[in-house]
Amino acid sequence: MTAVEHESVVAAFAEEIGRSDPVAVVGAKTQWLVGGEPAEGVRLVRAPAGIISYEPAEMTVKVRAGTTIGSLNEELGQHRQMVPFDVDDRSATVGGVLSVGRSGIRRRRYGHIRDFVLQATYVNAVGDVISAGGPTVKNVSGYDLCRLMVGSLGTLGLIAEVVLRCVPVPTASRWFTYDGDPRNLDASLFQASSILWNGDTTWVLLEGHEADVESQAGKCGLQPTEGAPLVPKHGRLSKRPSDLYGLTGDFLAEIGVGVVHVGVGHLETSGAVEQTGARHLHRAVKERMDPKNRLNPGRCPIL
Amino acid sequence: MSDSVTGTFNIALGLDADSLASCVSCGLCLPHCPTYRVSTEEMSSPRGRIALMNEVSRTGVGDQSFIDYMDECIQCMGCETACPAGVPYGSMMEATREALAEQTGYQPRWRRSGFWFLGHPRLLRGASSILAVLQRLHLVPSRLGLPKLPITRPRLRSTGEDVIVFTGCVMDAWMRDVHVATVEILEALGLKVHISGDEAPCCGALQSHAGLGGQARARAAEVVMGLKGTASIVVNSAGCGAQLKNFGAILGTAEAAALESRVFDVHEFLVTRLDDLEALAGERDAERQRVAVQDPCHLRHVQRNHLDVHAVLEPFVVPVSLDDEGLCCGAGGAYSVMHPDTASSVRDRKIDAIGRTGCSMVASANPGCMMHLAGGGLDVRHPVEIIAASIGR
Amino acid sequence: MHRTGPIVELVSTISDAAETIQQLDTSQLVKHLVAAIGADSVKSGRLDQHLYAKDASVLRGTSSVVTLPRCTADVQAIVRTCTANGFSFVARGSGTGLAGGAVPLDNAVIIATARMNAVEEVDVENGFAWVQPGVLNLDLSRALLPYGRHFAPDPSSQQACSIGGNVANNSGGPHCLAYGVTSAHVLAIEVVMADGETVMLGGLDAEPSGYDLRGLFVGSEGTLGVATRIAVRLTPNPPIVKTLLLDFVQPNDGAATVSSIIAAGVVPAALEMMDQRAVEVVEAFANAGYPTDAGAVLLVELDGMADGVAADVETVRRVAHANSVRSVRVAADDAERDLLWKGRRNAFGAVARLKPDYYLHDTVVPRTKLQEVLEKVYEIADRYELLAVNVFHAGDGNLHPILAYDSREPGVMDRVHAAGAEIVKASLDAGGVLSGEHGIGLEKRDYMPLMFTSADLAEQDRVRSVFDPADSANPMKVIPSGSRCGDFAGHTGSGHTIPEGAWV
Repeated sequence: MTAVEHESVVAAFAEEIGRSDPVAVVGAKTQWLVGGEPAEGVRLVRAPAGIISYEPAEMTVKVRAGTTIGSLNEELGQHRQMVPFDVDDRSATVGGVLSVGRSGIRRRRYGHIRDFVLQATYVNAVGDVISAGGPTVKNVSGYDLCRLMVGSLGTLGLIAEVVLRCVPVPTASRWFTYDGDPRNLDASLFQASSILWNGDTTWVLLEGHEADVESQAGKCGLQPTEGAPLVPKHGRLSKRPSDLYGLTGDFLAEIGVGVVHVGVGHLETSGAVEQTGARHLHRAVKERMDPKNRLNPGRCPIL
Repeated sequence: MSDSVTGTFNIALGLDADSLASCVSCGLCLPHCPTYRVSTEEMSSPRGRIALMNEVSRTGVGDQSFIDYMDECIQCMGCETACPAGVPYGSMMEATREALAEQTGYQPRWRRSGFWFLGHPRLLRGASSILAVLQRLHLVPSRLGLPKLPITRPRLRSTGEDVIVFTGCVMDAWMRDVHVATVEILEALGLKVHISGDEAPCCGALQSHAGLGGQARARAAEVVMGLKGTASIVVNSAGCGAQLKNFGAILGTAEAAALESRVFDVHEFLVTRLDDLEALAGERDAERQRVAVQDPCHLRHVQRNHLDVHAVLEPFVVPVSLDDEGLCCGAGGAYSVMHPDTASSVRDRKIDAIGRTGCSMVASANPGCMMHLAGGGLDVRHPVEIIAASIGR
Repeated sequence: MHRTGPIVELVSTISDAAETIQQLDTSQLVKHLVAAIGADSVKSGRLDQHLYAKDASVLRGTSSVVTLPRCTADVQAIVRTCTANGFSFVARGSGTGLAGGAVPLDNAVIIATARMNAVEEVDVENGFAWVQPGVLNLDLSRALLPYGRHFAPDPSSQQACSIGGNVANNSGGPHCLAYGVTSAHVLAIEVVMADGETVMLGGLDAEPSGYDLRGLFVGSEGTLGVATRIAVRLTPNPPIVKTLLLDFVQPNDGAATVSSIIAAGVVPAALEMMDQRAVEVVEAFANAGYPTDAGAVLLVELDGMADGVAADVETVRRVAHANSVRSVRVAADDAERDLLWKGRRNAFGAVARLKPDYYLHDTVVPRTKLQEVLEKVYEIADRYELLAVNVFHAGDGNLHPILAYDSREPGVMDRVHAAGAEIVKASLDAGGVLSGEHGIGLEKRDYMPLMFTSADLAEQDRVRSVFDPADSANPMKVIPSGSRCGDFAGHTGSGHTIPEGAWV
C-alpha cells in the first residue's frame, strides 16, 4: 500500500465517524464495560486494522487501531520483539487496550502501556484527523496529546493508528511461587517482571538472561511453577503498593505496582480518587474537546 | 562594606574581549558556586557575574548593585574547575575588582589601609599580641570568628638552605604552630630549613582578591626580592601557595616566573618523599583515627593538587573525603569578615558535609579555612600538625 | 542578507524593537509582589532583569520583575498578583534550557523556583519521592543514594538542571534509552494554575482516575501552569554496570554498530556517539584517555544482572568487531567510568574551546538514518562555513549537531540560523522530529508547522487553553501564533501576536 492509500484508510475512518452525531468505537469488547457502556442507540464504528510498517532495527511499529494484540505480537515475535500489552484475550485490539488504558501484569518491569505510544493519529469530535507525538523513540515536539488518548475511553478522540515502541523478547521467562512475605521479594529482586499475591501465595515472573533468572530464584528461595495464576476478573482496585497488605477475600494484587484484581463479591469496587481538586479540569478538557459529548457518550473515565 | 554609590556611574572594566566571549552561559558552574548554592540567585552565580561584566562592559555604565554582586564572589574558583569551556573567571573577577577599586568607591580608604596593614607582618604581629590580650579580657566579639590568638609565639630558627619555609603574614602572626610543625616534619626528613620570615613578608593574595592590584604587586615584588636562590619554597597556606605560583602573571617579569617553579604546597612537597614519611609513620595502627579532609579551594580548584593532602595523611590517619565536590567553605581569605552572613550560610553546608563523614576531626590546609571552620565549632587541624603530632609520639 | 527559516525572520523582526522598548512602569507590580511574598523574594533592578531575560539558549527576552518564591503559597500569590496587574509569568528552574523555553516574552514576571529545593519525602516502599521543583537533578539522585535508588532521567546538564525544568521539558539524557524519559518517571504533580488555584495531576495510586493530565503537563514547557511539588518515581540502582568505549576509524562503522546492537536485541542503558572533533575537545577537558585520532567513538553502557550484562558485553563486542572497531575498552572501575562520562557530559561546553559560541541543535531521526543525516549535517555546515561537532544519543537517534562559531564575526548569526533550519528540515525529511529532549520553546516554535498540520496545532492550542485561557503562563511558546483560532465553541485566542523583545 502506498502512503496515499494509507492516508485514505484514515480518511475513510474519519468519514465514517462524521462530524455531528453520537458515535462509539468498538474493538473486541474485551473490556466493554469499563467506565460505563455507551449510551443506547449510539452508532458503533470499528477502527481499521493492520500493521502499516515495522522496522525491527528501529524497534518501532506503526499499526492501525483495530489490529489485534495477538496478531501484532505474532508479527513482532518473528524478530524476537514484542509490545508487553498483556491481555487475557488475544483478540483485544490495540486501540481498545490503549483507550481503556489498563496495563498488563508485567507493568512492574515494563512500565505503563501509555509509555509505549510514540505517536497517535485520531479523529476528533469535529471529524478532523489529528496527529500527535512523533514516529521516533524520543520526541518532545509539542503537547503530548497521546497521553490524553490513553485511558480516555474514546471520549476525546477515536484512535485510528499509533506508532508503538517495542522491546526485545527476553531469552528466559519463568514463573515461580514463594511462600514468604512478598515484601521481601519486592525489596530484593531486581526488575522482577511481575509479583502477584493473593494473600497467601506469591507468584513471581522473572525474565532476562537464563543464568540471572536461575540465580535470582535460587537466592530468594523461589519454587518453579507452571505459569501465571488465574487473575480474578470481576473488578479492579487502584492502590498504593504499601496499601495492599490488609486486603481480604478473592483478590490478586500486583506487588510494587498497586493494582488489585478482585473476584465476585469483593467489598471494595474502586480505588481512592487521587486527583483531588482536578475534577473540574478533567471535565473542562472533555467539554472543550468534545463540547457536544458525541464521542462515546455514556462512558466516563472521570470518577 | 564599601561606601554606597547612588545612581549610576561610568566605568571601563577593560576586560579581555576573548575572555568575556568565552562563556557560553551553559550554567554548569551554578551548583559549584558556594554563593549560588546559598542564595540560588543568578546574580550570585559565575554565569550571572560574567553576564553582568559583559553588560557593564557593553554599556560602560555600572551601579551599586553591580559592585555588590561582584563583591559577593568568594573567588573560590570552583567554577573554573567545573567549566567545560575553560573560562578564565578568576582573572576576570580580579580585573573587574581592580577596575572598580580604581574608578569607584569600591575599596574605601579604611579597607585599603586594612589590607596594607595585613601585608606588613611585623606590624600585624604586634597588633595581634595586643588583640590576644584583649581576647583574654573578652573584649573581642566572638562573631568575628577569630581564633584564640597567641600572645607570644615560639621562635623559628633557620638551620640551613635545603628548603625555604614561607611564613607569610596572617599565618605567621596567628598560626605559628603550623610553621613549627612544618619545620619539624622537614627536619625529621633530614632537611635543613630556611625560614623566610621578614625577608619575604607577604604574598599579597588578599590584596589581589580585593582588587588592590598595586598593593599586591608591591608585596609580590618584595617576595621575589627576598627569595632569591634555587632552593624549593615550601608553603603551608593554600592561598599563599596559589598566589606565589601566579607571580609570573602578576609581575610579568622573568624573575617572578622563575620563582613560580620553585614553589610547592607543603603536601605537594612531602608527597615526593612519601616513602620517607611512611618510614617515619612506622606500622599502621589497626585503629587509626578517621579524619575528614576539607579541600581548600586554593588547593583543589587553583593549584589542583589537593589529593596530595590525602596521600601524605594516609600513613598517619584515615583521611575521609567529603561528598560535596570541593564546594567552598566560605572562608575566602578576608571574605568571612566582610560577608559574615553569607560566609556562615556557606559554612553550614560544609559543616553538614563534614558531619556526614562521622569524623570528629577535620584537616584543612589553609589558614582562612581553618579559622572559619573552627569558628563553626569544629575541631580543625592543619594536616602538618596531625603528621607532626604522630611523628613526635 | 541571507535569510531562510522562520527563526531568522522572527529574530530580525524584533531585534531592533527590543533595544527601544519603553521603560515599563512596574512600580505598582513590585509593590504588590513585595506585599505578597516579601522584599527579599522580589528583584527588580536593571541588572537583575537583564540576567533573567535569558537562559542557556542564544535567545534573549525582556522580563519585568524577578520573583524567588519559597513555597506553593508564594507561587500562588505571585500568579494572582500577575493576573491582577495584567502581567504574564514564566517559571524558571536553573536556566539551563537550550530552546529559549524560560526566556520571558511580553515583559513576563520571572518565577525562579531555585529556592524551592527541598526533597520533602522519600517513600521507598511506594517507590516515589516528593520534591520541590528547584531540586537539582543530580542532587536528587545523590539524596536517593542511601536508599539504593536514583532518578532515571539524566540530561547532560544534570548537575545544574532542576527537576521542575525536567518536568517542563520532558527531559531525557543518555540513560533514557533503556529507562524512558521524564514522563515515565513522574507520578504526580502539584500545579499552580494561571488562575492561582492549585490542582493535583496524576496520583500515587496505581491507576489514578480521569484523563492523564499529568502526562499532558510533562513537556508542556511551563505553558499550563507552574509545577510546585513533584512526585518522582524512584528507580533501583542496577547491581552491575559496565561501560565500554568503542573506537572506530570510520564514522559510518560507528553508526552501523549502533543499529546493529539494537537489532541484535540488546538495549543498552546508554549508547552515545562522538565524532572526531568532539573527542578532541572532550579529551582536552576531561583527560579521560579518549582516542583523539578516532573517526568516531561510541560510549556504551550496559546494566542489569551479572550474567545478562556479561552476555550483552560479548554481543556488543561481536557486533563492533563485525563493524571494524579499532579497540574496545571496558572501564575497569567506577572512577574510570565516571571519567568517561565526565567527558561526555561536558562535551557541549567543551566545544567552546574551538570557538567562543555554539548553537546546539536537537533533532531525532530513525537510527537507521543516522549516518545519512550526519553526512548531511557536515555538508550543510561546510556550505555555511561553520564548524560542525557531533556528540549525541545515538541509541535513540537523538542528534545533537553543534555549530561552533564566533558571534563577533559579522553576519555569522544569519549563517548559523540558516544552517540550523536546513538541519531541522533534513532531520524531518529523514522521518524524524523537531526535538528529542530540549523542547520547542521559542527556538523551534515557528518550525512546528513543518511537523504538524494546522488542525494538529489548533488541537494542541485548544487543550492548552483549557488550562490557561488568557495565555498568561509562559506566553507565546511552543505553538506558533497563527494557530490561535481553533476553538470549537467559538472562543478567540488571546491577543498576543508577534513576540516583542526577543533577540539573539
